Amino acid sequence: MTAWRRLFHSGSGATMLLTAYVILFLVFILLPIAAVIVVSFSSASYIAFPLPGFSVAWYAKMAANHDFTSSLTTSIELALVSACIGALLGCPAALALARSRGVGAGLLANLLLAPISVPAIVLGFSLLYFLSALSFGLSFGALLVAHSVVAIPYIVRTVLATYRAVSTNLEESASVLGASRWQVLWHVTLPMVRPGIFAGAMFAVLTSLDNLPLSFFFGTATVNTLPVVMLNYMQNNFDPSIAAISVVQMLIAVATLLVLDRVYGIERLTAA
Amino acid sequence: MSARPGSYRLTSPVWCVPVILFLAMFFIVPLAANLARTDAPQGWFFYYQKLLYDPYYAGVLWETVKVSLITTLACLVVGYPVSYFMVRHAGRWNALIVFCIVAPLLTSIIMRTFGWRVLLARKGLLNTLLMDIGLVTRPENLADDRIAVYIGLVHVLVPFMVLSITAVLQGVDVKLEESARVLGAGRSRTFLHVTLPLSIEGIATGCILVFVITNGSFLTMLLLGGSKITTLSLLIYQQFTTTEDIGFAAAMGNILILVAVLCFIVQYALLRRRNGS
Amino acid sequence: MTVLAPPLRLVDVSKSFGGVQVLKPLRLDMVQGEMLALLGPSGCGKTTTLRLIAGFEVPDTGSVVINGRDMTAMPPNKRGLGMVFQNYSLFPHMTVGENVAFGLRMRGASAAEKTKRVRAMLQMVRLESFEDRRISQLSGGQQQRIALARALATEPSILLLDEPLGALDKNLRERMQFELRDIQHRLGITCILVTHDQEEALTMSDRVAVMAHGEVKQVGHPTDVYERPRSRFVSEFLGTANIFTGTVKAQEGAAWRVAIDPRGCAEPLIAAETLQLGQRVTLAVRPEKLVLGPPKADAITARVRDIVFRGAYFAYELTLPNQEQPLFVYTQKREAVPDDGIVGLTWAPDSAVILEEPA
Repeated sequence: MTAWRRLFHSGSGATMLLTAYVILFLVFILLPIAAVIVVSFSSASYIAFPLPGFSVAWYAKMAANHDFTSSLTTSIELALVSACIGALLGCPAALALARSRGVGAGLLANLLLAPISVPAIVLGFSLLYFLSALSFGLSFGALLVAHSVVAIPYIVRTVLATYRAVSTNLEESASVLGASRWQVLWHVTLPMVRPGIFAGAMFAVLTSLDNLPLSFFFGTATVNTLPVVMLNYMQNNFDPSIAAISVVQMLIAVATLLVLDRVYGIERLTAA
Repeated sequence: MSARPGSYRLTSPVWCVPVILFLAMFFIVPLAANLARTDAPQGWFFYYQKLLYDPYYAGVLWETVKVSLITTLACLVVGYPVSYFMVRHAGRWNALIVFCIVAPLLTSIIMRTFGWRVLLARKGLLNTLLMDIGLVTRPENLADDRIAVYIGLVHVLVPFMVLSITAVLQGVDVKLEESARVLGAGRSRTFLHVTLPLSIEGIATGCILVFVITNGSFLTMLLLGGSKITTLSLLIYQQFTTTEDIGFAAAMGNILILVAVLCFIVQYALLRRRNGS
Repeated sequence: MTVLAPPLRLVDVSKSFGGVQVLKPLRLDMVQGEMLALLGPSGCGKTTTLRLIAGFEVPDTGSVVINGRDMTAMPPNKRGLGMVFQNYSLFPHMTVGENVAFGLRMRGASAAEKTKRVRAMLQMVRLESFEDRRISQLSGGQQQRIALARALATEPSILLLDEPLGALDKNLRERMQFELRDIQHRLGITCILVTHDQEEALTMSDRVAVMAHGEVKQVGHPTDVYERPRSRFVSEFLGTANIFTGTVKAQEGAAWRVAIDPRGCAEPLIAAETLQLGQRVTLAVRPEKLVLGPPKADAITARVRDIVFRGAYFAYELTLPNQEQPLFVYTQKREAVPDDGIVGLTWAPDSAVILEEPA
């Protein structure tokens, strides 16, 4: 509490005004999320305040909705598998590029990072017609390709940053001690860049879970991702089941983050 | 000279080959094909001319730029004080603020947009509160309006602005500000002549990021705009779901990519100039 | 009869980076069990030499022969060397014990052998109880010792030390110099020490190779190199040197009388083997070899500008008439200096060294 008080009483009125503004800002940021969480427990079948009563009925309804559950599974599978593909493709390239100089290496690094910068809706649109020409336009495979393309830059970015911070002397030490190239990679390089790989994969997973502009081109009646199903539902209904599924999706993301934090520490993840 | 092996290297350029092949196949070729797709029967520039000269589409183009610019400016104005506070005043509260700013990234954009609908709807929280206080007698539907779109966009994008500026502001030595104060500059002059110029790189990064992302967004316009705002991305979505004019949608996509590329060239030039001097 | 090959032989190795020759063709033979210091300013080629020996770089010309085997193109892991880096390079994701055991593990040593060897190594560096510690829990000095233990665990034929004490503070560095020297003597291991610190090189090594601009300027026993530098660079890099120029006037027994510039300054005796009458010479005199006295006919007249107490000695800064370059004199006692600061400088005939460069 003392720190809180010091914050308020330190300095001039301008500082106090600024503090008040920041608090207001944080309310602005968190309010809509809090509103959704509250509404998800409403007993009413419409959105209205004050809430008529408390209920978990919308969670039950959501769990019984096959579209929601199957698309949630699809989204999670898609996010995890595409992050893995992104890591398998991106990680070796990032390791090879991290300590290269020269125009070629710079251009290549830009290419690997480019898919983040292209509007997802354009990428999705272009890929749909290209993959359709290869006759797998509407399928889980198409979704996987699209999401892997976007996963690569997240992995490359964090692995580049992490590996550049690792002293070359560590690897040289290992090689003088008798480790072959593969042994150095396995026993020294990989453990050192693992936090970067995980951080990049986490960003890729979070992005994939929410990447509606990319996903909605490839959905079929049987395979669809959660955001697409939610959007379709929302355009016809305005009831708390959207809130319930949103909260579940958020909890999954939070759980992923907590597990990673347990394993690696949040500081090391955000540092990358 | 006989060929001698080079220095000891752990990695090999060959390791880049799989990802190059993958991106060439599923990133470069599709985007190039998109360019080819705009070859209309009426000629190469038909779709682009239509976009530029047809009053409706020219209006959409203008609306896209306008929405992106206003959102960028709003994010800057709303976010800069927060960054400044985080770097100069927050101290141990910094971690909490960072958490609050990053936490929304764990939720879907649909959830956040839905949250604004809940707050702004006719029977939403805001109207209920305003009625209770007695400020409003008849509830207005505040969702489905231009202002709702801007609120939603700023809400989604302001974290990117804050994080970009904070990263640069952290590198600005507080001693520089103190020197300016010692030399007789007041608070506002110190801010205008020392702090602001030194954080310009973060501002540029944040602005370009927000501008580009807004250009590519359509969900907020779709769910909060009540068809009062139509931008290029939203039009691509609508073209795809309704009319299916593929060539025209492709042309709009190419325009969006062109804008994104231009933005990053500007950013690259800014970075280069800064590093060069 | 078998002649034992030298532990290390560099045969005309050279190396360029991007068109710049950082190492000119270098020849060097090491003696079993010696500690050789490569001493020089940054960019002199000493680190490149070490990296060529370790195998991180391949020389453009010449060969690296270790224990009689040509290892020029052999990767680092097959050279059987040990190395300690300035930043220690301990693996942060492993414990102290795992770090020390790393080399043995790469060689597929048995668990029992690893345990035994790790214990022995940790005992050697007096950190027996640290086996299960994390690297981040160690002080700089402890990390340095663990790095040494790790490098020695595989019983390398040569130990490479790259500024091993550079990151330690002054007191600890001096202690570690003796400790490292002691371990080296006990194991009788051949060592190459790369350093830019002349005191460290003089303290620790059996031989010093002073390097500059990609070549070795002088190799020899530390006292020889210090007392009989062959060039101005070596004399000035190894401590402080007062440089004079002059002309040989006459021979007096085993010594020569040299007229120091400027003309009429003084004509001291210099011990030297063969000089020619009328020859121009450059000579160096160490500050502790110069003697301060009252001005007199056969002394160099100088003016004292400043006197500094340096703890172990007094340092006098002097100027010669019409000369920019100051002279330095170190004395054990504080000498009496007249009010006008004018003193006479002399030295014993064998205190001055004739340098191998024209005046």
